[in-house]
Amino acid sequence: MNLIMKIIMKKINIFLLLVSAALFFSCEGKLDVLPEDSIVNELAFADESLALGVVEGLYSSAQQDDVLNGTWQLAGEWMADNVDFAGTFPTFNEVRQYAIIPTNVSIFNMWDDNYETIGSANLIIDNIPSVPGSTFTAAERAQAIAEARFMRSLVYLNMSGWFGQPLQVGAGRANLSVPLVTSSEPGLELPRATLGEVHDFIEADLLLAIPDLASGTRVKATPSAARALLARLYLIQGRFAEAAVAANQVIGDSFYALSTNYAFYNQRGSTEHIFTLANNADDGQDSFEGFSGLSNPVPNGRGDTPFTNNLIAAYQEEPGDLRFTALQQSGNDANALIRIFTNKFPNFQNRDDDAPVIRITEMYLTRAEGNFRANTSVGATPVADINRLRLRAGLVPPLGSVTLDQILNERRKELAFEGFRRMDLMRNGQNLRRAGMPDVALSVPGANFTIFPIPQAVRDLSPFLDQNPGY
Amino acid sequence: MKSKLTWILTPLLALFMSFALAQDKTISGNVTDQSGLPLPGVSVLVAGTTTGTQTDFDGNYTVSAREGQRLRFSYIGQKTAERLIGTSNTINVQLEEDAQALEEVVVVAYGSQSKKKSITSVSTVTSEALENLVVTDPQSMLQGQAAGVQVVATSGVLGAAPEVRIRGNSSIGSDSRPLFVIDGVPLGDDFLTGGQGGGQGLNPLASINPNDIASMTVLKSASATALYGSRGANGVVLITTKSGTKDGKVTVTLDVNTSFSRVTDTFDLLNTEEYIEVRRRNGVNVTSLGADLDFIDIVFREAVSTTYNLGITGGNQQTNYFMGMTYDDQQGVLVGNNLERTSFRSNISTKANDWLTVGLNFNGSLQKFDRTPIENAFAAPYTIAGLQRPDVPIRDANGNFTTGGNVGGGNVVAQELLNLNLSSQTRILGNFFAEIDLSSLVNGLKFKSDIGFDRVSVEAQEREVEILTPGGSAFNSINQQNRLIATQTLSYEKTFADKHNFNFIGGFAYEQNDRRGIAVEGTGFLSDNLLNVTSASLFPTTTSDGTTSRLVSQFARGVYDFDNGKYIFEGSVRRDGSSRFGGNNQYGTFWSAAVGWNVSDENFLKNATWIQDLKINASTGTSGNDRIGNFASLGTFFVSPYNGNSGLRPTTLPNPDLRWERTTGIDFGISAGFFKRRLNIGVEYYERVTDDLILNVPLDPTFNNGLNGRNENIGEVTNSGFDVNVSSVNINSDKFKWTTNLNLGFVKNEVTRLPETANIDEAGRRFVALGGFSGQRAIEGESINSFYLIRALGVNAQTGNFEWLDADGNATTTPVQADRVIAGQANPDLVGGLTNTFTFGNFSLSTLFNFSLGNDVFLNSRGFVENVRSAFNKTTRTLNQWQNPGDIAIIPSASSPTIARYDQNSTARLEDGSFLRLKNVNLSYNLPQKYFEGAFVNSVRLYGTATNLLTIKSDGMSGFDPETSSGGGDGVGAIGEEFFNIPQNTTFTLGVNISF
Repeated sequence: MNLIMKIIMKKINIFLLLVSAALFFSCEGKLDVLPEDSIVNELAFADESLALGVVEGLYSSAQQDDVLNGTWQLAGEWMADNVDFAGTFPTFNEVRQYAIIPTNVSIFNMWDDNYETIGSANLIIDNIPSVPGSTFTAAERAQAIAEARFMRSLVYLNMSGWFGQPLQVGAGRANLSVPLVTSSEPGLELPRATLGEVHDFIEADLLLAIPDLASGTRVKATPSAARALLARLYLIQGRFAEAAVAANQVIGDSFYALSTNYAFYNQRGSTEHIFTLANNADDGQDSFEGFSGLSNPVPNGRGDTPFTNNLIAAYQEEPGDLRFTALQQSGNDANALIRIFTNKFPNFQNRDDDAPVIRITEMYLTRAEGNFRANTSVGATPVADINRLRLRAGLVPPLGSVTLDQILNERRKELAFEGFRRMDLMRNGQNLRRAGMPDVALSVPGANFTIFPIPQAVRDLSPFLDQNPGY
Repeated sequence: MKSKLTWILTPLLALFMSFALAQDKTISGNVTDQSGLPLPGVSVLVAGTTTGTQTDFDGNYTVSAREGQRLRFSYIGQKTAERLIGTSNTINVQLEEDAQALEEVVVVAYGSQSKKKSITSVSTVTSEALENLVVTDPQSMLQGQAAGVQVVATSGVLGAAPEVRIRGNSSIGSDSRPLFVIDGVPLGDDFLTGGQGGGQGLNPLASINPNDIASMTVLKSASATALYGSRGANGVVLITTKSGTKDGKVTVTLDVNTSFSRVTDTFDLLNTEEYIEVRRRNGVNVTSLGADLDFIDIVFREAVSTTYNLGITGGNQQTNYFMGMTYDDQQGVLVGNNLERTSFRSNISTKANDWLTVGLNFNGSLQKFDRTPIENAFAAPYTIAGLQRPDVPIRDANGNFTTGGNVGGGNVVAQELLNLNLSSQTRILGNFFAEIDLSSLVNGLKFKSDIGFDRVSVEAQEREVEILTPGGSAFNSINQQNRLIATQTLSYEKTFADKHNFNFIGGFAYEQNDRRGIAVEGTGFLSDNLLNVTSASLFPTTTSDGTTSRLVSQFARGVYDFDNGKYIFEGSVRRDGSSRFGGNNQYGTFWSAAVGWNVSDENFLKNATWIQDLKINASTGTSGNDRIGNFASLGTFFVSPYNGNSGLRPTTLPNPDLRWERTTGIDFGISAGFFKRRLNIGVEYYERVTDDLILNVPLDPTFNNGLNGRNENIGEVTNSGFDVNVSSVNINSDKFKWTTNLNLGFVKNEVTRLPETANIDEAGRRFVALGGFSGQRAIEGESINSFYLIRALGVNAQTGNFEWLDADGNATTTPVQADRVIAGQANPDLVGGLTNTFTFGNFSLSTLFNFSLGNDVFLNSRGFVENVRSAFNKTTRTLNQWQNPGDIAIIPSASSPTIARYDQNSTARLEDGSFLRLKNVNLSYNLPQKYFEGAFVNSVRLYGTATNLLTIKSDGMSGFDPETSSGGGDGVGAIGEEFFNIPQNTTFTLGVNISF
């Protein structure tokens, strides 16, 4: 009897042990698990360090190929007359053939990514003032907000060029542009702003930012970068005298100077750069659809963006143009034909070529064109500015005088593959394609398909956004 | 020695004497069942001979035999009886019901039940149904085997994860894969590898060796899965691995087979001459680059694979064990695609004493994949084969690989030959359990403690060589999933007054799932001989990340039945707490209730001859779906650096109220056997309503800081339908047996409610965009996967223009997005399988057809391979381009204004995806004993299997596989879309199975 009791007691002990083990296992779990590799929203503006991290994130957002890292800078070139798109992407071929469908995914991605950059800027502008911490000074806060204003202006200027007709056609300032979202409050339902409203906003924002920005860097917003952007805006608006003045101000900043040769691409410290987006191997262009991905020949790259014959001819009008001879490579395009490609962005493998967003050469070209068309000579005469650039390109002797066509031709040859060509043609009322090129008839000023549709996925969610004609 | 001989010889002599002396006589009689009713078709055999007969319709038989011999009476569902032939010439026999046959056991959540008492919706796939299959993953074993279980083979590439849907698609935005549980341990099935162009990575369950699997049970209804709570809504598949025996015998089985595979159906591409002609017709003059290649022949091959499988079962009353080893050397049909697998399993359990039973199941496997990019990848061989000009040579005049002119920048032949693209996956999976019989405390009480872990580690090694990637590139990553699962249960079983049976189980479970990953990448190598990242000069990637989730559960199930299961009542409840959900909704409770009535146990049917086992059951219950990732309820910023400084970018919006998707189901089932169980039919009707659907509700990025959506519980999906199972013994003679098993799953799938915040389409219906290539939508009142497309009319024979229908149904050459309509849907109305097994003598033949009816497939690669304006190669369909009035063409005139847009998304790419496929044919032959008599061998079986021998599909699917899904198997987003998917393979396997 005793023995049996003993056994039973022993068993009860084992039983209790196991049950308590069960309870241990079931209750030990803590369900409040936080992510290890991201920051919850509540903490993003909790202190200076994190808040400034969001400012770095703003530039990082602009590093998306869809924003400043080349996809659309190059797309503008093949929509115009500089690049003969040879690649496989159907969505890019639609752009090349003026056969865009509103469901074009690349265009939706571009809209999405650009508004993400605008959204980051709005978050910074709205939240920086209330970040706790007395060591985060008023000047530091103002600078962070001014950087956001600069980036927001830059993106809006690009977007307004893609999604609406330029000032020079149709209703001008009343042409529909993109919605002007200037607050991080979610769920606003704003109609498309007019081009005039977008331009006015950019101008005001840049003027507001300039006093708060700090100088001394080429990879972030600075007062001169903001003035350079103003000069670009004025030129697009046809405010030529003001464009010349703004460009002249930037040229007057001794932090910048024309590089003596064309080795400045991807040289972050070169005096050539006013604002260049710093790309590194571990943090570079984010796809194969950016500057480096598209513009190198096979097998170094996709071989998508060879020169058009028309661009080659433009360079070959005068022998020895270094912008052609020093900045080209030849190789296979995507269709196995030997073509000429730019070598401004040669690092396909790591895609770490910096994006040349604003460089001093643009300011000389803008000053020259502004002065020429305003009939002024702020800083220098147009011919002096143009000769300066031609001299660097190895074109001698100097010209005695210049025409507008010559200024625009120099602008084309200087800035090819950097995303200026389409807007330069549009604002001058010219066809996007030259005679003899495909689809010339679809490329005339004001033609429906020279601008993009508002993406269908956006209109599905915000039907109050009017679609562009023809789509 | 002498005495032994005498002992052996004497009986033999006696036998001989009896043979010599006995006279044949005619014996007749009548055979009845337990109720005394005559049994027709009973096999009557003179034991030890081949003499025999069958009873006639009235149960009578006549047979010739001698006195002293024995007659054996056998019949399905009855116990076999033997009678010694005495002096009488009449032998009447009453056969007893074989209780064992009815007591067939069904594995259910946290236990098992007798088939008779199982009243929730469960399908069992038996070892007989599995043994003739030649498959490499557990999902494929279910294809065509169980009613209401749809398995789509998404790609013919090695390691592709099949898409599994149980009773339809019940989720729009979350992963709708069922939960797989192996020997009680829920398996981790996170994708630890990238898709390399496909919609998903390598099949996470490919490391579960099909050869180790004894049977599978599919829990289909919410009532059956409620005990898996927050993970039950997509259904649960319970895998039971092989176990030992109790008879003291040790059986060793060796199976060796070799397979030969080739691809089933592919594009028919232009040759060089045709290519140049199509380009010329469209205004581009190209000159040949010299070659004339059919790239399909170059990227595909006849693949040879060999499998060795060794299994050992043994044991006695105390201890039993199974040991398994498999080595598998597989070639894929795609060049450069290979897999080498080694897998071990040991299952052992022992009864330590009268109150303690302990066991250990342990499985280690190593899989080495040599991968190939697929579908939407930069350098996917099949994609390139479809696109590359046929005149681009692979090698130049000097025999060196060319690189120029190859689509995507590479040369796929060089790539597969020279680059490394390896993924080696190690899985260690096991559980230890101790079962304590507490009958000394309370009679019928048992406690079981089960601790399992599941560790998967995947190492990827990639290396690109100089000629394809100047400077070279190397990538190395390790991704791990570690899971700990602890389950403690108490069970109690008791019968009162002989008629009242109680069965109860309750317990706790805890699971923790940790993911860790590291990856490095390097570029800029001095030599292709330097393989690893350490030798690079630049390091684009250095990452390490981790994430954890936890699940805490309590659960219980009670079953009461009266009079050996005449009436059955079952109920269960589970409470889950999960770290994945919002702070406001971390806990959820799930439950089920079921009733069953074995009508055949009632007196009025007990004696019925025409019907047996009539059972009616009804059940209802709830279960959940937690497959939304770990932190879907949180709003977060992710880390994104700029210029060497760490930065933050917003990535998701928060929703602290986020909770489980919840499925509530009702089920009605009726099953019965007819004609002495020669015919068995089971029909179940179900309705599953899934509400609180978790959707990433799309938000306009314009007004939400660039963010595209937020996870919300909205909307409702209803799946309803019938599952039908028919099995029959068509012929059952001594020499020839033919059995048939048909399963049908009819599903109707409908989005029954979407929120007011959903998008509104042109017709005023609410919808959620699923994306994909076609812009698939979940539309209120329609199928969850609707194709929303412009209707294509085709090329106008008179004008040469491509024409579409506008919204009003009029022909147009300038369609707009507003002309889109619901043009089809991706979910089949009916899926099923048909198995026939024929046994004649030592031969056995089994065939398995599977089919799918009523689904559409979107062929997205047509946008590439049928685009005459591109410089790519194309299919021969593009030769059919309109030239002159009257031409019935596929491609519009080169001068038509529609030429730039004819290949936009439209029904021109949508085809009927219905198919009937001869999935598996197996012929096997058991070598007669006489060939190996005296050897140590017990049995030798030779077999040949053919997989995907025949496929019947619509004409429009020519060149494509009807089983396709670029989105992959997880069910998130669009399904039923093709994009250069590798078609399935036709495989012939020859094998031998020896047991000793």
